[in-house]
This record gives sequence, structure tokens and C-alpha cells, in this order.
Amino acid sequence: MLRLESVSKYYAAPDRAIAVLDEVTLSIASGEFCALVGPSGSGKSTLLNLIGLLDRPSSGTLWIDGEAVAGCSAHESARLRNRLIGFVFQSFHLLPRLTAWQNVALPLQYRGVPRDAQRAAAEAMLARVGLADRTGHLPGQLSGGQSQRVAIARALVGAPRLLLADEPTGSLDSSTAQDVMALLAALNAELGVTVVMVTHDRELAASCPRQIALRDGRVLGSGSGTC
Amino acid sequence: MLIALPGIQARLGDTLAEAWSNLRSQGRRSALALLGIMIGTASIIAMLNGGHMAQRESLKLFAKLGVDMLQIGSAPTGDRPALLSQAAIDALARTDPDVIEAVPLANGRAAARTGGRTADIAILAAPPALATLANLRLAAGRHPAAVEECALSGVLGDAAARALSGPAAAVGPGSAVLIGGYGYTIVGVLAPVVPETLDPVDYNMAVLIPLHCARRIIPDGGPTGLLVRLRPGADTQAASERITARLATPDAKLTVLDARSILRTMQEQKAVHSRMLIWIGAVSLLVGGIGVMNVMLMSVMERQREIGLRAATGATPTDIRILFLLEAVLLTIAGGAIGSALGAAIAWVIAHSSGWDFALAPWTLALGPAAAGGMGLVFGLYPAITASRLNPIEALRAD
Repeated sequence: MLRLESVSKYYAAPDRAIAVLDEVTLSIASGEFCALVGPSGSGKSTLLNLIGLLDRPSSGTLWIDGEAVAGCSAHESARLRNRLIGFVFQSFHLLPRLTAWQNVALPLQYRGVPRDAQRAAAEAMLARVGLADRTGHLPGQLSGGQSQRVAIARALVGAPRLLLADEPTGSLDSSTAQDVMALLAALNAELGVTVVMVTHDRELAASCPRQIALRDGRVLGSGSGTC
Repeated sequence: MLIALPGIQARLGDTLAEAWSNLRSQGRRSALALLGIMIGTASIIAMLNGGHMAQRESLKLFAKLGVDMLQIGSAPTGDRPALLSQAAIDALARTDPDVIEAVPLANGRAAARTGGRTADIAILAAPPALATLANLRLAAGRHPAAVEECALSGVLGDAAARALSGPAAAVGPGSAVLIGGYGYTIVGVLAPVVPETLDPVDYNMAVLIPLHCARRIIPDGGPTGLLVRLRPGADTQAASERITARLATPDAKLTVLDARSILRTMQEQKAVHSRMLIWIGAVSLLVGGIGVMNVMLMSVMERQREIGLRAATGATPTDIRILFLLEAVLLTIAGGAIGSALGAAIAWVIAHSSGWDFALAPWTLALGPAAAGGMGLVFGLYPAITASRLNPIEALRAD
């Protein structure tokens, strides 16, 4: 599903280049649920951005669904993101002027899906995440847990192959966080979508079938944890 | 290439709706940006319609006689009277291909007196053809008939008749009026005449008498001027040169009033005005456009997270460019529409204060929003490109 080979990312400093990711080689199978763990500055977010095609590696190759995607243009990357990848962020990133269903429908809008079909699909996905009665609410009228559910619905409405979650529970209290984790796990099992989640929370990470640990831009171990 | 094709209709509809709601949420700031666009459009629309009405008004000055008309007058060069040859004038219509009709005229001034009232009036001696040529209508009575063979009869202008009328005795057909010492019988009174540029006299303050009977009251008697109707579209310049050459005498200096040249001069003067106003409008539009660019740039900066999120969900740089460009164009079209209405209102005030008939040139009303929208396209491009070039990662992290 996802393969990285010798992927490095450098940032130019005045006197030398700093490697944020150093020769990362990694493979994730279709339908896996992985936690990406490591201390701050270990390169977790950078790796997630590379996988999410929001950034390009300095060197190395990246395959998603069998396609080599490292050298795509901004336009092609956007098209691939739209088709293959869903994002969930720590701070939800819902557009405040759009209702829940309109937020969920965004990826479909960029696919050119007719408005009626957008709405139907968005409402179905909101029902799936338990928000059938909140489709017309604005983000300001939703709690944190509800907002993150809307964001998850938005990430999955286009039936992507890959869900990338960056600290998805970082802004939530622990019981809401557990609900959201349970939802992600259920969707992973149900839809077969591959999930890669960055987290600081050891407990959450431990609950994932596989953990990938990063330190100083290198992969320490990616053994399949306890299932 | 600005527009990507797949699903473009659905996407454009969505984008349009979003652009509109984004603008509404900007409220006051959008309205301020509109001000410059509104003023620019309003001044251009007001000016174009002002020009349009002015042109209609200047054409009215030739409504009675038309623009294919020459008025030729003669002034003495020496001691001898500046008389023109009646035969030469009569021959013009037969011999010059551009001349349809040539009517000789003689004029003078005299005091008119009746019932103890006096008025200084113009005397215009002309053949009966003048009434048709100048479209002079009678309010009462008739024109002097040729058969009256120099009976002292005449037709009074409307204002002259009223000036000579007393409270008890109105001057009208059958009244006796002493003109230049001769007792004339008034056989008709003209309906009021709207003065025009090529009128040889003010018909309202004149008495019209037959030309062949003029010798008694006008010192030299013969024609000292003429009105010439030309074939429509004739070259008035060339025709007036030919005619003055045919009529030239050593005693007279001929002057020609040419309706087309007068009109052209009037329009040229107006064009100078128009150009100035167009510049004012253009400068306002430019300032407004820069205002729109500023508002759009601020909007891009404030909505970085939104832009990053849209990029993450699959918006291509093109999609983002179109969203911001549409917002700018909608904003300016709205400003242009309001400005057009304002401009039309100003045009109405101009018409009202100038005593003109209010008339809008319909195409100018479409021009306003179109020009403003064009401004939006030009000045929205830079902010739109800025938005589309944001790095999604940094945009998502922005405060």
C-alpha cells in the first residue's frame, strides 16, 4: 500500500543542511493501523507530511498504491490527495462558515461531484460517525469530540485508501479521546482504510496494532506491536 | 490555464456559492473596498450618459431644419449693398446635384406699432417655400398668398403678436399693424417656434412677408441670404464652397453656417470634457482596484488555515486561484452594479439641472458592472496567485 525507500528530507541551514529525515525505508500494508511515535523533533510530522503529499522528499522514493508519487507536481499531488488520502488534524480544521455536512463534502466538491450527491454522501458519512442529527450545525455549535468526528467524516467521505491523523486526540479530554480512537479503529476494520497516526500518547500508541518509532530522523523499529 | 475541466460545472457552482458567502462574512471591509469601484463606475456611467444626452440635445438644435442644411449670409464689402442674385439662387437646385432646395431671404428690423403698443421686431422677407423648409406652423390665419401681389400683408411670430396685444385687443389675423411706417394687415400668427442654430431670425419676434414685396420696407429689397437644403449625407464643406463660388459678387462677402460643422465643433468640445471625466473615472477605478487587491490580500493572509485545509482535501492550486478570483470579481461586479445605479442617478440630476430630457444609453448600464468585473479580474489575480502558492503545511500551521 505504502512504501518509502531511502527517503530523506533536509532543511537548509546557513552553514549546512540539517537532515530531518535520514534514509527512511518503510513499508505499510493495506488495511494496517500504525502509530507513528517518537519524541518532539524526531521527524514524525515531516514523515506524515511526505506521506500525505503535502511536502516532497529531498531524496528517495515514495509509492502509494503502487504509484511513485515523490516527483508529482502540486496539481498532481492535490489530485492524488483528493483521491487517495484523508487527513485528520489535532485542531480539527473545520471551516467555520460551512455547516457540518458542507465541511464533510469538501473533498467531493474538489472531485466535481454534483451538489445533491455531495450532500447525500456527506450525511451518510456523518451518520456513520454518529452525527446524523448534527449535519446542519456550524462548527461553533459542536463540541470538540463532535468536531473531530466531523473531521473524520470529511477525511473518509471520498473513500480514500489512506487516513493520516496528526495527534487526532491531542485537543480532546481522555474519555472523548478514547471514543475517537475507538471510532478510528472501527472504521479501519470496517472500511479497510489504512491508518497512520502520529501521537505522543504512549497508551494510545500501545493500543495500535503496529508502532513505528522515530528518533533523530531515523526509524528505530517498526515491529508489529501487540495486536 | 486557470480552469481545470473535470466536473467544472459542479465545482464552479460550489465555488461561486462559497465565494459569495465569504464576501458576506467580510461585511464592512468588502463594502469599503467597493467604495472606490462604485465611485469610479458611477462617474464613468454619469459621464457617458451625460454625453449621450448632450448629443441628443445638440441634435435637437437641428431638429427642424436637419443637419443637411446651409445658411448663407452676405455682408457688404464696400458702399454698395451686398445683394445676391435671385436668379443664381433659383438656379442652384437645378444645377447643383447636392442642392435640393435653395430659399432666398432678406431681413431687416423695424418698429411695429398697434393700439398704442410698440415692439422692435425682425422682418424676414422670403418666398412661401420657407414655411415648408423651416417647418413653420400657423397658430391662426394663413400665409400670405402669392396672388396678393405686394399687398402689405404678413405673418407675425408668436412672441411678437403677444407683445403687441393689449388686454382688450389681441393681435391676430385681420389686425392692422404699423411696421416701419407702413400699415400692414396681419393674415396669420405662427405657432411658437423652438429656436435653432440655423434660423436666420428669431421667428417668434419677427414678421414674415413675401420676398418680392420687400423693397418697400427693407432698404435694398433683394435677397441678402439664403437657406440651402442639401441631399442627405452630402459633403457640406464641398457644397458650400461650390455655392459660394456661384453666388460670389464683388460687393458681398459670403459667410456660411454649416449644420454639420457646427455639430462637429460642439461634439469636439464635449469630447474634451468627456475625456477628462473618463480619466477621473479611470483613476477612481484604479484606486478602487488597488483597494480590492488589498482586501483580497488581507483575506488570503487571514484564511491561510482554510487554504491549507482546502489543499489537504484535494484543492489544486487552480481551484484556490479560482475561489479567490471569483471573490474579487463578485465584489467588483457588485460595486459596479451599485455604481451604475448611482451614475444613472447622477445623469438624471445632470439632465434635470440642464433642462434636458433624461435618457439612458442602455449599453452603459451593462458596461459598468463589466468594467468593474474586469478590474476585479486584474486586481484579484495577484492575491489569488498568492493564495494558490501558499505552502499547505505552513498554511495549516498559521494562526
